Amino acid sequence: MNNYQKTIGIEVHCELKTKTKMFSDTLNSYEGSENSHINTIDLAYPGTLPLINHGAVQLALKAALLFHCDINKTMSFDRKNYFYPDLPKGYQITQARTPIGINGYVMIEVQGEKKKVRIHDIHIEEDTAKSIHQVDKSYLDFNRSGVPLIEIVTEPDMHTEEEAMAYLHKLRELLVYADISDCKMEEGSMRCDVNVSVSMNEQLGVRTETKNIGSISSVGKAIKAEAKRQIEALENGEKIVEETRRFDEKDEKTILMRVKETGNDYRYFPEPNIPEFTLTEEEIEEVKQSIPKMPDALREEYHELNVNENNIKTLIAHRELCSFFEQVKEYDSVITSNLLTGDVLSYLNKNNLKIKDIKLTKEHMRDIVQKIHDQEISSKQVKKLLPILMEKGGQVAILMNELGMVQISDDHALQQLVDQVIADNPASVEDFKNGKDRAIKYLMGQIMKASRGQANPVSVNRLLLDTLNKGDLN
Amino acid sequence: MNNYLDLTITELHDLLLSEKITPKDLVDEAFERIEKSSLNAFITLDKEGAYRRCDELEKNKELMKESLLYGIPIAIKDNINTKGVRTTCASHMLENFVPVEDAFVMNKVNDAGMIMIGKANMDEFAMGSTSQTSYFGTPKNPWDLSRIAGGSSGGSASCVAGGLCPIALGSDTGGSIRQPSSYCGLVGMKPTYGRISRRGLIAFASSLDQIGSMTRNVYENALVLNALVGHDELDLTSSKHETEDFTRFIGKDIQGLKIAVPNYFMSDIVDAEIKEKVLETIELLKRNGATVDYIDIEHLEHAVTLYQIIAMGEASSNLARFDGIRFGYSCENPTSVDDLYSRSRAEGFGKEVKRRIMVGSYLLSGDYATEYYTKALQIRNHMKKSFDQAFQKYDLIIGPTTTTCAYPLGEGVDDPRKTFLDDVLVIPVNMAGLPGVNVPIGFNHTHMPIGLHIIGNRFEEAKMYQLASFIEKELQLDLKVKEGNHE
Repeated sequence: MNNYQKTIGIEVHCELKTKTKMFSDTLNSYEGSENSHINTIDLAYPGTLPLINHGAVQLALKAALLFHCDINKTMSFDRKNYFYPDLPKGYQITQARTPIGINGYVMIEVQGEKKKVRIHDIHIEEDTAKSIHQVDKSYLDFNRSGVPLIEIVTEPDMHTEEEAMAYLHKLRELLVYADISDCKMEEGSMRCDVNVSVSMNEQLGVRTETKNIGSISSVGKAIKAEAKRQIEALENGEKIVEETRRFDEKDEKTILMRVKETGNDYRYFPEPNIPEFTLTEEEIEEVKQSIPKMPDALREEYHELNVNENNIKTLIAHRELCSFFEQVKEYDSVITSNLLTGDVLSYLNKNNLKIKDIKLTKEHMRDIVQKIHDQEISSKQVKKLLPILMEKGGQVAILMNELGMVQISDDHALQQLVDQVIADNPASVEDFKNGKDRAIKYLMGQIMKASRGQANPVSVNRLLLDTLNKGDLN
Repeated sequence: MNNYLDLTITELHDLLLSEKITPKDLVDEAFERIEKSSLNAFITLDKEGAYRRCDELEKNKELMKESLLYGIPIAIKDNINTKGVRTTCASHMLENFVPVEDAFVMNKVNDAGMIMIGKANMDEFAMGSTSQTSYFGTPKNPWDLSRIAGGSSGGSASCVAGGLCPIALGSDTGGSIRQPSSYCGLVGMKPTYGRISRRGLIAFASSLDQIGSMTRNVYENALVLNALVGHDELDLTSSKHETEDFTRFIGKDIQGLKIAVPNYFMSDIVDAEIKEKVLETIELLKRNGATVDYIDIEHLEHAVTLYQIIAMGEASSNLARFDGIRFGYSCENPTSVDDLYSRSRAEGFGKEVKRRIMVGSYLLSGDYATEYYTKALQIRNHMKKSFDQAFQKYDLIIGPTTTTCAYPLGEGVDDPRKTFLDDVLVIPVNMAGLPGVNVPIGFNHTHMPIGLHIIGNRFEEAKMYQLASFIEKELQLDLKVKEGNHE
């Protein structure tokens, strides 16, 4: 059984983050009720003609550039004809002859080893309506009809589940980072079809396609299950035929949907309603410039800025938080990354908000960092201040005043507190003398408490140690 | 009866301006004539809408001064969407389909102050050359009620030639404006592809379809074209060509005009009587200072084959949307989605439409696509280039519009090849995206009209009207059908 090599190719459909649909000007949105974002074009009424969403073309171009593709500057569209209730025109407008990007690649890393996955092509097309099946009836929601999609097709370059999953993680990371797609598999804005074959020699085996797998980890399971099924079939002397299957999450098995008909049964031909058009060099350059720094580059940079590994991971995983970090990292990359991945992120998560929804600004971060550097604010005070800034905004200095967050850094005043606490805690002083460092922490805490958190902890620490070490206490 | 509708549009305009008549008088007369007529030219009349328009127009005297077409009744081919008025494509499939939006051209028709009186009969989904595939019966030729008016815009031709209204809009995918205009003695223009927006025209073959008008004379045709053109940003194939006055060369002489006649257009495929009339016209042009040369245009003989492949391929896809789900005919008690599809389409479409969908699907399938469709596109491109070369040397190309005159009803119904061959001379123009116009040049021995086909380079409709109007003026044909002939 171990002599078989798996070969995997993946097709991913991603919905583009555009304001409107691909071929009409209705909103690309799932907010509101079913069939609320539709017009006669989306419903394929007789006499309607498609428009072109140039914003979608630019996002697709961005993706093609990200994936190192050659760009088909002169583009046309084609019709893919088939009957299905969710396809109102009876054909899907897609790019068969001139996909916007061809011959690209993505670098993945599996167990420390880098590998190139080649991209056959990236093309633009439109989504179908959504079918909702009930026991005796089916309903159609056309809000999704005509939503812009890109389909990204790899060469059969992957040979393990791990490689397939690494590819998908990488693809999602790139598309999310460049703000091309949400890539939420659970919501269907990213969908995966996996082609799997097995073979004992150089010659590729007959492949099957497993469609619409629900998550990246399920893709791994589906590949494993399908390869196992194929190997068992071959071992039993059966033949593998080209067919479309689906993955049953519960049983972790692939199930036959339909056997593929031979040859081209989609009757492709050029879409006569959309004349060929050409992207200008300026347009391509402009899109190139709009591509933000990608995760691999960010990782390297943050590492050099001494941001810890956990924070880097968290930042990369939260694109919007990360782009905020990009704006504030100059103040102090360590402090700001700690604040953003800590207090700020947990506030966002707790309240189900995005960074753009809150009132925290770049200037707030600058001021907080400044106060921390100047030892004018304690970490406890920052914890108290941040939620207010996030919720209501305002100015750091004014807010601190209003909250009575004045840090006592005056040695004379602090010495009085230190002396008082030492006098009140003879047992701890004794512990200190006996070499128990824990006592320092306890005493510090008592002093901070007595100052209602306002004492400058660095000064307190210095004064406390000086006083204890003087040894004239007895 | 006043017979206002026998007057020219210019004469009517003077009467309207001097307030001797109102738009309502014209609409009254149109409906009176339609009621008496046995032409079967209309599928749906819109009396209510027409009289509502009359009221609106009477309040808009400004428009009356601006637009020569103000108050003029117009028939609209029933494959052009009219908001609130059913648009059937002469098909059972769309028998009860009421569009929610007007076609682009309807906005233009309304802006010019014209009054839509009804939807003209046609071949089902514009598929045919005789209008005999209509679900609503065949429109008749006013010159001889036992003959066809042609197709697919047969109802449009029939109603204008029959004097029911002065103007009709048609659509032309492979001659569907020019051929019936020729059969009925009208001026019918298929403008350059893209000249008039196709938005709201129910598609037959999108790369060939073009809206145009059918009128009683050249000047009125140019007036209507003036009203219909203009860029439509909602039709990506709509041209951005500047609008112009298409009447501007009308009345000019033809001294020095360089004209070409493709040899194929004067070959044995054309009826002798028709050829004779064309030759007479050529002599007339020469006498008046034009040069006429015989030339060869490549692939003209393949035009019908190209048309069958390209038009049917596109049609098979364009008509896939009629699935019984969102609009149009839906079969009763479907047992499954497949049953819904197959019965709705089997019961909703007529025989010719189904035949073309099947042929088109076959030609686009698998390997046939390369063998037929891709090949056809290549030949189409060659033909286009051959025309382009001719237009580097010549101003206009002419020939007969049809190979025969209008033939008796019932002929060709069971012989699809024959009806396609009717269009052999007009199809190349659609293939090359060129403008083509029919102008009457006489009658055959049974007094059925004969037409000359004038082909121009892209966007040179004005030059075509120049030649057409010259011929019209020189020949002074009596193109009015004898009164009572069609009642």
